[in-house]
Amino acid sequence: MRKLREIFRFELAYQIRRVSTWLYFAVLAIIAYNSIRGNYVSDARNGDFFLNSPFVVAAVTVLCSLLWLLVAAAVAGDAATRDVQTPMHPLTYTTPVSKAEYLGGRFIAAFVVNALILLAVPAGILLALYSPGVEAEILGPFRPAAYLGAYGFIALPNALIATAIQFSLAALNRRGVASYLGSVLLFVSAYIVAGGVAVLVQRELGKLLDPIGVVTVLTELSSVWTPIEKHTRLIRLEGTLLWNRVLWVSIALGMLAFTHRRFRFGHPAASTRWRRGARRRDVHSPALAAKEITRGAPISIPQVPRTFGVATHVRQTLAIAWTSFRMIAKSRGGLVPLAVIAVLAGLYMLGHMEFMSVPLLPRTEYLITFLTAPLTDARSPWIIIPLLTVFYAGELVWREREAGLSEMADAAPVPEWVIFAGKFLGLSLVLAAWLALLTAAGMLAQVRLGYHDFEIALYLKVLGGLQLADYLLFALLALVVHVVVNQKHVGQLVALVAYGFIGFASALGIEHNLLVYTADPGWSYGDMSRFGPSLAPWLWTKLYWTAWALLLAVVGKLLWVRGRERDVGVRIRMARRRFTRPAAGAAAAALALILILGGFIFYNTNVLNEYHSASDTIERRAEYERRYGRYESVPQPWLTGTSLHVEIFPERRAADVRGTYRLVNNSAAAIDSIHLATASAVRTGAVTFDRPASGVLVDDDLGHRIYALEKPLQPGDSLQLDFEVHFEPRGFRNGGADASVVANGTHFTNQEWLPAIGYQPSRALSDAGSRRARGLAPRPAAPSLYDVEARGHRTDAEWTTVDVVVGTDGNQTAVAPGSLRRTWTDGGRRYFHYVTDAPIRNEYALVSASYALHEAQWNGVTIQIFHHPGHAANVERMVRSVRAALSYCTRQFGPYPYRHIRLIERPSGGFGLHADAANITYEEGFSRLNPEDSTRGLDLVFSVVAHEVAHQWWGAQLWGAHVEGALLLSETLAQYTAMQVVKEAYGDEHLGRLLDEMRAAYEVPRTRAGVPLLRATDGFLAYRKGPFALYTVSRYVGEDRVNTALRYLLEKHGPGVRPLATSLDLYQELQAVTPDSLQYLLHDLFEANTFWELETERATAVRTAAGTWQVTLDVRARKVVVDSAGVETAVPMDDWVEVGVFASAEKGGKSGKPLHVQKQRIRSGKQTIMVMVSGMPARAGLDPNHLLVDLKIDDNEKQVKALVVRP
Amino acid sequence: MELHIRGVSKTYANGVQALRDVTLTIPAGMYGLLGPNGAGKSTLMRTLATLQEPDTGTIHLGDVDVVAQKDAVRQTLGYLPQEFGVYPKVSAEELLGHFAILEGITARAARRSVVEALLRRVNLWDVRKQKLGGFSGGMRQRFGVAVALLGNPTLMIVDEPTAGLDPAERVRFLNLLSELGESSVVILSTHIVEDVSELCTRMAIIERGEILLEAEPLRAIDGLKGRIWRRVIERSALAGVEREHAVISTKLLAGRTVVHVYGDTLPAAGFEPVEPDLEDVYFSTMAGHHGRRHAQP
Repeated sequence: MRKLREIFRFELAYQIRRVSTWLYFAVLAIIAYNSIRGNYVSDARNGDFFLNSPFVVAAVTVLCSLLWLLVAAAVAGDAATRDVQTPMHPLTYTTPVSKAEYLGGRFIAAFVVNALILLAVPAGILLALYSPGVEAEILGPFRPAAYLGAYGFIALPNALIATAIQFSLAALNRRGVASYLGSVLLFVSAYIVAGGVAVLVQRELGKLLDPIGVVTVLTELSSVWTPIEKHTRLIRLEGTLLWNRVLWVSIALGMLAFTHRRFRFGHPAASTRWRRGARRRDVHSPALAAKEITRGAPISIPQVPRTFGVATHVRQTLAIAWTSFRMIAKSRGGLVPLAVIAVLAGLYMLGHMEFMSVPLLPRTEYLITFLTAPLTDARSPWIIIPLLTVFYAGELVWREREAGLSEMADAAPVPEWVIFAGKFLGLSLVLAAWLALLTAAGMLAQVRLGYHDFEIALYLKVLGGLQLADYLLFALLALVVHVVVNQKHVGQLVALVAYGFIGFASALGIEHNLLVYTADPGWSYGDMSRFGPSLAPWLWTKLYWTAWALLLAVVGKLLWVRGRERDVGVRIRMARRRFTRPAAGAAAAALALILILGGFIFYNTNVLNEYHSASDTIERRAEYERRYGRYESVPQPWLTGTSLHVEIFPERRAADVRGTYRLVNNSAAAIDSIHLATASAVRTGAVTFDRPASGVLVDDDLGHRIYALEKPLQPGDSLQLDFEVHFEPRGFRNGGADASVVANGTHFTNQEWLPAIGYQPSRALSDAGSRRARGLAPRPAAPSLYDVEARGHRTDAEWTTVDVVVGTDGNQTAVAPGSLRRTWTDGGRRYFHYVTDAPIRNEYALVSASYALHEAQWNGVTIQIFHHPGHAANVERMVRSVRAALSYCTRQFGPYPYRHIRLIERPSGGFGLHADAANITYEEGFSRLNPEDSTRGLDLVFSVVAHEVAHQWWGAQLWGAHVEGALLLSETLAQYTAMQVVKEAYGDEHLGRLLDEMRAAYEVPRTRAGVPLLRATDGFLAYRKGPFALYTVSRYVGEDRVNTALRYLLEKHGPGVRPLATSLDLYQELQAVTPDSLQYLLHDLFEANTFWELETERATAVRTAAGTWQVTLDVRARKVVVDSAGVETAVPMDDWVEVGVFASAEKGGKSGKPLHVQKQRIRSGKQTIMVMVSGMPARAGLDPNHLLVDLKIDDNEKQVKALVVRP
Repeated sequence: MELHIRGVSKTYANGVQALRDVTLTIPAGMYGLLGPNGAGKSTLMRTLATLQEPDTGTIHLGDVDVVAQKDAVRQTLGYLPQEFGVYPKVSAEELLGHFAILEGITARAARRSVVEALLRRVNLWDVRKQKLGGFSGGMRQRFGVAVALLGNPTLMIVDEPTAGLDPAERVRFLNLLSELGESSVVILSTHIVEDVSELCTRMAIIERGEILLEAEPLRAIDGLKGRIWRRVIERSALAGVEREHAVISTKLLAGRTVVHVYGDTLPAAGFEPVEPDLEDVYFSTMAGHHGRRHAQP
């Protein structure tokens, strides 16, 4: 025991004296500080939680634990292997110390050091919270338990687990770097495996598998905890967290026990059987030597030519590159694990090439988005590659010195640049091999999915070009960092910090691509517009950073460590001597390139274009409100007629629009000035009126103009306004090139380009924290539902006719709102004249591309699908859906107001669709859906298109006031309609599949706290909970009655009717069609945030003498209302709930035939239900169709147990 | 070709002065650098091998400035460090081939023949396919010799090469060096006097960074003729003898102590004259009776 204490004491003292230990501490404290200041302050200002709430402390602790894993692996690795590496083991291993004492002392010391390092986290947090810059209002009371809990339940167990695994791997492999492998394993397991399992397989399992707490704390708590809990609740060691800690601590202790068993106080070389064999052979050699001496015949060494020219240097570079590559490739962290990761990636693609359970066509354009990620995307699993690069770079730089071979190698006549270039090339080969593996994985996945259009050139361009370039630039940085720092662990740390800086520079307010190593504006790829204009800016910035990399390489050469000199002064002296003419030339060339390319980029981003940082943009939005917010309620005329002449020049990526607005004064007062909001994406030219008017204010910077009318516009009068806008991107911006107009696939909207009337509240700052920081009055995301005045605001509810002439390239089709009146060719350009059949909402897009057109008819309405020629798979399906939806909606809600309906594909990787009046655009990704191959047979294309067609009623005709609940009138109604269309076209079972998919949204961890549906402002309520609620009403009250209510709603609030409808109007119509006995249900679904908790505890059946079955159900029910802060109130329940009894499922069928489904009153608490059925029951329970909001639906039903009754 | 070292000094960051104003002229042939452990031998050797920077002073190999023109020196340099490791998972043939490329032997056929000749020369040809991790200390040392011999160096620096060798290997190795010494500058650092006496035509004795003696071994031995006296005494009498006489070395012989004493005349009764050898030169220099320390009291 005394020996253990001495070993512990010595190790602890040794590590605590090391500079690196304190560096780890400092880095961790800085990260903790920054994540509070950078991440959580604005949330706290938004009022989401106190900045010092236990939740924040725990989240920061987890984040820092994750980084600590990568940063401080050396502590355990060093404690485990220093003796072998020094090599002092012949002395220590032969002392009379037992394995338990030796390993135990070292391990405990490493654990204590790590535990001390992790104390940096609370230190950094406290510093961030209580140093100047944080206002007292966002801090709650100081609670030591928050810090103790986070440290005791998260940080300390993490330290134990990680130290044990790092220590064991290092001790067993006798190599310190093995501890990094342990870190990477834990990191991957926490960050990728557990996260993936939690999302894809099972949440609880994911939480268990996560050794660090990422899933549990960062993902789970942040979404499940209610606002109240986030403010105050402490992290407790309970539930899954407890089991997680128990599991991982057991694994850690198991690893230690295993290490204790396997560890030998032996010489490393004798540690494997293979090497022992090698030594046996060696035994014979000395005898041979002796014989040789006696013979003593010297063998002459041939004089061979030696050359030291450029050719030799190239040859030497290649030789070094090849040995470097082989060393990494064959190492434990080398190509084998990379190949395994590639295989996993391939399997992942196979398993998840789907969207909402519908298979996706594995087109190469899509696969490359799976296989690549920006270097710094921390959420991508490929973050593993830069991390490994840092590790490989360290191994390469230290290779000779760690092998003890450096003096011999350094004395060889090889210039430093050859060594440096060789190692860089070797590392590059590893990265290239990795991308080749990934490419192979991608193609194999395609083959497996039966897709054969590989587009190898595209793979090469993207993986072998764009992605590799990023990796290589970073690899060079990592190498140079290791060279300059010249201390392996510290080098590792500095390189990781540099990587972190690259990733989080924007959080530090450093955004310009010229300032962040390897930064670029990004690239995009799609079948329609290919790389579009994204490639050139990418290339320029990459060239710029390549020039920097060249400069770094010169630094690497100058400071390359050769021989024994570690002293900074001597290294600089040597560097000066190495600064030969070629080196100076390279440095000068690099500097010149940096200046030229940097100047060119700066010219593009800051001179040709205006450069706005993120904070500039926020400030400008604030300024817009400060200056022009006062005009928000000034009466303005309304837009009633629009006529445009649009010239699109795809090759030049330019466009000109000349337009005329007809404005009518609908207010009761005369209007003496017109406010015009101009768009920032275009240059707006002169604006003229059909009557005398003068520009009072033209602020094209913030986009506001005021024109004074010489003679005020009287109520009911109208005026005409002419304008011009020009789109001609000059160069590129820091964010890349504007892709509105591209060679193929132009898409822009009126809201992006054309002037709008009046002050635009949507351009003002919305984020509560930023508003507060800038002294602006608080403003909710949407005005309250009960704010009657807000309903009257003009917002975007203008109805206008549109008359457009669009000209574009001769081989393209342009589409605009309205019916196509005429098309003609003039000077090689094609022109299209569109006119709307009826006024539309002032929201529309113009597109132009080389389209294939598919046409069909429905009752005099022309259905047109404009699609990319290669993307025709779903065209028929879309037409079928349009027909079914038009048919259902015209029967149920009223006539379709236009003579055509179009679906238009546009470039973009997403799956989204957007419905304007009669024109529906869909993103390219949507064409990848392949319901044909679906095993579950859900026709998602059909239902999504039906949703968009339904928007022709809910959105294009009925438009809600901009208050809470507005989404209920568009998205909820559209989705509800789509559900009914699916039911009508495909039947109940298919609808069931759709509902199952929609229900998946409930399985995402989510807090129960929330607003009632009527005040919905988020997508979950609008797209999921809302449609389910309406569907439930249709099942309780009847589909006809619900549709009647909707028809009345539309009749009362059609186009142009003021005031605009709100969700209260919908609610009123629903109340009108609902019998008194079910009014409570409407209230529970819409007016309160209600949850039912239904559970069948036991289901038994007894066969009666008559041959029927008497089913007895022991059930339990509860109903709670949860408010938006998370306060739960149980309310008495006496509700109609479906009781279902089902026969056993037939072979292959999903569920059995219903024997009995009837609504019955169920009250709170336990109760027994008796049902008589004719067939043999298999399952029975409450609410089998899941009509009521119950988050735990798997306990609703139970298997029926048949009881044998004694006669 | 001569190596000129002028006024080289080196102080490490921890304050240890490893070399003090070292000035030496080293002609072609075998040159022995003799000194106790920690005398600065390795520092001087590494400095000559371009792996360390002197704080002051100049080193020239012929016309080449060793400090400034490292690349040129390295092209003619063979260096066998005192301690070195190898890549354990690489075979002898492969690693030697790699070094051959680094030494500028890029033509494949030439490289093969050189590698083969060298491996045969150092008697590792039979184990050329074996991984270096399995080599014994002697084999590894021989492998290092092969690396140092690559490219027929005209400046050969071998730092304590015989320390890990068994007697047979040592003989063989010294033979090899003497062959090389016929045409090149070969500098051998050692703390074993026999290495120098057997091989070197010139030598220097270094201690605490200072050159105490620069001489030809035979002439230095001649210079001590008649000045070294020997006596066999009991161990208990040693203290008394040391107090009264300039004892330069003591040795054990069959359990009794043999002392060598420096003196221009017979020191006392019981002493007998001995024919001096290089060891006596070394010890009398170290004891300050001979060489520069003697000249500058």
